[in-house]
Amino acid sequence: MDNNYGHPLRFGLSLRSSAPAGMAERVALAEDLGYDLVSVPDAGELDAWSVASWLAAGTGRIILSPLVSLGEHNPAVLGRAAASLDLLSGGRLELGLTLDSDSDSDAAALGEAIDVIRGIWEGEARAALRYDGEHYQLHGAAGGPRPAHRVPIVVQGADASMMHLTGQRADGWLGAEPDGNAIVDAAARAAGRDPREIRRVLEIEQSDVPSTAWAAQLLPLVIGKGVGDILLRSADPAVIRRFITEVVPALRQAADLALPGLSTAAPVRPAAALARRVAGIDYDSIPLTLAAIEPGDHDYATVHSTYMRGGSPGLVLRPHTAEQVTDAVAFARRHHEVPLGIRSGGHGISGRSTNRDGIVIDVSALDEIEVLDTERRLVRIGPGARWGEVAAALEPYDWAISSGDYGGVGVGGLATAGGIGFLGRAHGLTIDHLRAVELVLADGSRVRASASENPDLFWAVRGAGPSFGIATAFEFEAAAVPGVGWAELVFDASDTAGFLEKWGATLEATPRDTTSFITLGGARPGEPLLARFSAMVDSDDPETIISRLQPFADIAPMYQQSVQVLSYARALMPAQGEANGGSGEPHSRSGLLEHVTPEFARAAAGLLGSGASYFFQIRSTGGAASDIDPDATAYAHRSAQFSVAAMGASAERLDRGWAALEPAFAGLYLSFDTATGPDRVAAAFPPRTLERLRALKAQYDPTTLFRDNFAIRPATAPATASGSTETRAAR
Amino acid sequence: MTDYGHDLQFGVFITPTNNPAQHAVDLAVVADRAGLDLATFQDHPYQPRFLDTWTLLSYVAARTERIRLSGNVINLPLRHPALLARSAASLDLLSGGRLELALGAGGFWDAIEAMGGGRLTPGESVEALEEGIGIIRQIWHTDQPGGERAGGVHVRGRHYTVDGAKRGPAPAHDIGIWVGALKPRILRMTGRVADGWLPSLGYVEGGPAGLDALNAHIDAGADAAGRSPRAIRRLLNIQGRFQPANGGLLQGPAAQWADELTEIALNHGTSGFILASDDAATIERYAHEVAPAVREAVALARGEAAPVSPR
Repeated sequence: MDNNYGHPLRFGLSLRSSAPAGMAERVALAEDLGYDLVSVPDAGELDAWSVASWLAAGTGRIILSPLVSLGEHNPAVLGRAAASLDLLSGGRLELGLTLDSDSDSDAAALGEAIDVIRGIWEGEARAALRYDGEHYQLHGAAGGPRPAHRVPIVVQGADASMMHLTGQRADGWLGAEPDGNAIVDAAARAAGRDPREIRRVLEIEQSDVPSTAWAAQLLPLVIGKGVGDILLRSADPAVIRRFITEVVPALRQAADLALPGLSTAAPVRPAAALARRVAGIDYDSIPLTLAAIEPGDHDYATVHSTYMRGGSPGLVLRPHTAEQVTDAVAFARRHHEVPLGIRSGGHGISGRSTNRDGIVIDVSALDEIEVLDTERRLVRIGPGARWGEVAAALEPYDWAISSGDYGGVGVGGLATAGGIGFLGRAHGLTIDHLRAVELVLADGSRVRASASENPDLFWAVRGAGPSFGIATAFEFEAAAVPGVGWAELVFDASDTAGFLEKWGATLEATPRDTTSFITLGGARPGEPLLARFSAMVDSDDPETIISRLQPFADIAPMYQQSVQVLSYARALMPAQGEANGGSGEPHSRSGLLEHVTPEFARAAAGLLGSGASYFFQIRSTGGAASDIDPDATAYAHRSAQFSVAAMGASAERLDRGWAALEPAFAGLYLSFDTATGPDRVAAAFPPRTLERLRALKAQYDPTTLFRDNFAIRPATAPATASGSTETRAAR
Repeated sequence: MTDYGHDLQFGVFITPTNNPAQHAVDLAVVADRAGLDLATFQDHPYQPRFLDTWTLLSYVAARTERIRLSGNVINLPLRHPALLARSAASLDLLSGGRLELALGAGGFWDAIEAMGGGRLTPGESVEALEEGIGIIRQIWHTDQPGGERAGGVHVRGRHYTVDGAKRGPAPAHDIGIWVGALKPRILRMTGRVADGWLPSLGYVEGGPAGLDALNAHIDAGADAAGRSPRAIRRLLNIQGRFQPANGGLLQGPAAQWADELTEIALNHGTSGFILASDDAATIERYAHEVAPAVREAVALARGEAAPVSPR
């Protein structure tokens, strides 16, 4: 094993000095034959970057490795170009860097270029990147785009300074110096790195010797010099074919004999990534089948935050099946002392779904949407699907499930808390359409709950679901909604109290086919306060729609109006398709209201006038949601006609302003409140409901594993956690 | 009232957003299949929401068959002319002669400086662009008139110094160098050294009629350099919206667009109309309903035989 770095062998085609004619065909042949990569040096006539980008469009699997001579390249531009090629090629780029033989730039310049390139890849768009090198500088450049995967940087260079640079910073070394490994390894160790992090690449000439002899010549390079990638320089299709079909199998076989396990070895985790692990999480016991993202991983940037909140969890587990959710829960049980967040779409306000140094179970991969029964309009939906996707999937059937106001919200969070949406008065809450749910409980058992199976659990999930388990599938009965009237109006709300009161009274006088939300806040100094009014009418008849909206037109001066007949899917604001990038901590308060009384309207106007809330929203609810018996679901505030939410930059100022509104409220909707503590839980659940929830919590989660979202205290003293003891091989 | 007599070209200006990454590629394929002449992409290397324009052009070259490709316009301050020349020639060879090179002197200097580029005054940037064009042409120029291989490129300019850079490769066709320009000094430079002019109508004061005064600067620059004003093709980035009723310039039905573009071609000298659009249906409509009608009307007015619509 001496001098081997544990990288499974890969084989590439080098296009060094390759003429353009037939190049695409040769690369397509190499891809078909099973070559792993194609290396495109700048040394030929053609510009390596243009060639590699052009080849990317004509290939589908092979790794593209342009070998760029730094020369006159601006490294920040090159960094963005590399990220672009990685995005276009679906994560197939490995970036080679070298120096022109005739240029006066040196290894130090290349080292700075690597810093700049990686800075661009890792930086946020909003960042102002600074770099003060001798050769290159950044003065507040935006970061990004992020490549599709962690792009390795391979350095080519045979002098000592380039080998030093490779050891310090590169992921691969393309060199020919016999003793180079010693220098590279020493530089790696001096920089606190593991020499095995650096893949050794060798470019070879084509040869006429018989295939077995050729393989025998190459074997010492693999077992003696630790070469992991072998690049064949050839433009002859016959040689390209013979090498991969005859030489490579012989070489692999011999290498596997000499170095057992080489072909299946996993790359070593870089020292820099290991250093970012969190104490208290046993990373080595993560089941191998379970997708896991930790702080040193490329994808961590897209998962550490949620929509509204910054976070830095120590581990994000991404189960792809209900079975794997069980594995994830078992892992979390063995780490009962660290925070645990459960995430579907990551839009939660009360449910943190991220944390600091804890574990997140992210069920976004469980996103299937399947129509089970067209007669009953029964649909099975995974917790990771987004409501916009659900709406789009149901659109061809002229069905809809009432689901909040934004398509990016995940199914799991909404369907376990309530779901006060634009079809709420017409069709009730999201949970009112739930017919069955499948859950993984704290002890790892998988259960189904419905009106007839585990009815207590079914009751609890509909309003307090986050405290009882992780849903792995829901079955909903959709409503027939062939088209809706969709109105977006903007009112002058200078007379704020008057506007709120008139809106509330008008709404209550409007038939329940109509649901309206209003949003105020964030007025600029000197400009009138505006109210953004949205309403959905559960009808595709223009006359009905107009008759429902007409009374609202007179409540205040109107600035803009748009009324359309649309599908529910088109009316629901679609998701933007970007990773969640929240930062900081949101401050939000919630209250449920029976009527917009003059006292409440005045207090709300005071809150808005104080500037303590930049976002103040009232959603109408009631209607069909009020038809349900308060004891039928854990969401019990069935008499509420309005749900009020306010967000503020300062929690203290928001709370002070909010206090004046409190007397008007009867309970709160937990999904919109960031405050924690027993009084909040008591406001979310009336006493009889809470008592029943606590009894069930004692039964289903006595150790309070699930406590991220309005934690319910078990009724009896918690039993000792009986964490599972199975462990898996180290990753 | 000018018509420089060039054949008409129609193209698109597609936003090179990187999310989704294939957005611009897919629309370029639509434009190619619809028979348009040009697919172009803006180049703002400091903008992280865009794909790198050169990478995109190279990728699109392999996904398209007939359409010609160009940056619109390439940011010279962040792309060294010698490097750009080699990249352009390479891509022209790979694409079978389908690349054109539209260049800009740079404008967003804060962002350019943030990326490590040098800040130039408007006057300096025009001077740098002219030097850059000279370097690009020299790199492409691999053979001396006698047929001998030329030596390295040596330029000692105020902005660029090139010490014996290797020439080549020679592009597959005579790549047009176009300049994005609006101000007199850069317009005169365009007339002096460029093959084409590519402004955006939205920035032309006075709309299409405002083109005349700008054309006059180019013509003056060409005259002073002993060139024919016809040596410089006049292209134009345009914006528009198909809608049933006439709502202003290029806001209306296809027939209205055709009349308006015909008028601009015949009276204001434009022979390349590049439509900013990220909508496949709009691109197809532009190719199928507007481009042939303008070609026909212009040919008729010029007294030429009606052109055969490209398939």
